[in-house]
Amino acid sequence: MGDNGFAAQLAEDLSKEDLRLVLSVFRTDVQRLTDTMAGAATAEDGTAFRRAAHGLAGAAGAVGAARLEAACRTAMAEAGPLGALLADIRARAEAALGDVTRVLTRLDGRG
Amino acid sequence: MNGVARVLVVEDTPTQAQLARALLVGLGHEVEVAETAGAALVAARDWRPDAILLDIELPDFNGMELMQRLRAEGIDVPVVVVTANASINAAVEAMRAGAVDFIVKPYAKARLAVTLGNALEKQALAAQLASVKARLDRGQFFGFIGACAPMQAVYRTIESVAASKASVFITGESGTGKELAAEAVHRASPRAGRNFVALNCGAIPRDLLESEVFGHVRGAFTGASADREGAAKLADGGTLFLDEIGEMPLDMQVKLLRFVQTGTFSPVGSSRLERVDVRFVCATNRDPMLEVQAGRFREDLYYRLYVVPVELPPLRGRGEDVLLIARHFLAQFAREEGRGFHGFSPPAEQALGQYGWPGNVRQLQNVVRNIVVLHDGDRVELDMIPRAVRRPDGAEGDRAEAAPPSAAGPAPGLVPAATAARVVRPAAEAAEAAEEEMAEIVPLALMERRLILAALRHTGQDVPRAAALLEINPSTIYRKLQSWRAEGLLPTG
Repeated sequence: MGDNGFAAQLAEDLSKEDLRLVLSVFRTDVQRLTDTMAGAATAEDGTAFRRAAHGLAGAAGAVGAARLEAACRTAMAEAGPLGALLADIRARAEAALGDVTRVLTRLDGRG
Repeated sequence: MNGVARVLVVEDTPTQAQLARALLVGLGHEVEVAETAGAALVAARDWRPDAILLDIELPDFNGMELMQRLRAEGIDVPVVVVTANASINAAVEAMRAGAVDFIVKPYAKARLAVTLGNALEKQALAAQLASVKARLDRGQFFGFIGACAPMQAVYRTIESVAASKASVFITGESGTGKELAAEAVHRASPRAGRNFVALNCGAIPRDLLESEVFGHVRGAFTGASADREGAAKLADGGTLFLDEIGEMPLDMQVKLLRFVQTGTFSPVGSSRLERVDVRFVCATNRDPMLEVQAGRFREDLYYRLYVVPVELPPLRGRGEDVLLIARHFLAQFAREEGRGFHGFSPPAEQALGQYGWPGNVRQLQNVVRNIVVLHDGDRVELDMIPRAVRRPDGAEGDRAEAAPPSAAGPAPGLVPAATAARVVRPAAEAAEAAEEEMAEIVPLALMERRLILAALRHTGQDVPRAAALLEINPSTIYRKLQSWRAEGLLPTG
């Protein structure tokens, strides 16, 4: 998740089932909020874009996806072109979801 | 963190909510999640959480406003604000707004446990402090009215000793509430569900005292036609209150000592030993040590019974309690008598506060009843207060006129109407007449007739009420009236 220290902490703090559930909710949040941001970017609705970025920053922060969180916070603070901001966020989100998949695979591998 | 707490997570991002729920459940807590501030307000009202984990940015209104609304509704629950590094300033602001702490995302389970534990502990300490303060400041305690420091000490002693079986020895002037204190010891104790048996050692003939305490068997003495249980047996599992213990004859003190030491006794006329579990509470208005020194009270019994002393202060030493008690009695008697009194005028309060109250709470109770019975109005004015009490110098010199009640009367708060009238002038007119005629010596029978007729005039010829005011039996008034009519002293018919 770009922050393996915190991922390891989560794995330590949560049961396997809980961790799987949290990461699965995170995956859903990423999907839902990036879709919302894409819609807002198309509509050039900066307010809706930033609101969704705030939500995604919170979700990323909760699981320790630090780079994605940072990208979201940049998007919340900067008044740049929404499309460019979204592209950066999507890239970070993909990376974070890749991390999630790897963690879940490891969990499944452990049984 | 000890114990299960109910934690309300206020969070609109599902990932964060799910993570918080998983961590808190893992810590053994019960969790509810509210996704909006409005939902949190409802949950705080209905679910009554022990703590709230709060995200500041919420879809409807923010966490600051939520804290304000919680406070406005009197919902006192510790709030821990969850924040990202970027919004530390907001967290500090939230703490200024009343949050007890903040926690930075992402947080580990251990950090959450410590932060939440501290918040809950702080809340528990605040509740404990409020409870202690309430106890220290309390104006009422098991029937006692009074908030002064000496009474707070009495309440604390009673509360501390209640749970044990230790004997309690209550001292205090007549009318200070010794029986009330004994009852409080009983009611605050684990024995509260069993009997509280009170025995006034000074009011029972010497010959009957042993039987009253230990009971008797049939044929034990002339007139003992059946077995009868005594106070000791009746108080089994409960509390035996021996009032005026100093009046107990020495031979009876020996038997009581054996009972106190062994928990066993034999009913009069029986050699069978009975064992009971009794908690002893004794009272006297004398100095028990002086009684020991004078040889009127056995020293060994003294040390057996004088385990936890409770000294009830005289009313003159209780400061503002005089007014607290007077207002309490005024409300009670006004309700009972259907009067409109709602309080005392400042001069009336000043007079009550300055008087010496030699008869203590019982005398104050009687004076207030006197006022309520003889007057009506929105508030008690100075001229409604008996003249003797109105005198600012009034302790010793007023005793006869203000008529403190006898020592043997029941405890304050338990005084029947007739007894309560002990100090009461029978009627306003009679009181005035009596005072005016102090210099004039008249035959006792004439004075008696004047007082009875004045009481009847005042009560609209209501014989039972007049009798209560005069503290005599109504039949006495009927008999006197009949006799005066027969003698031609009253018009017939």
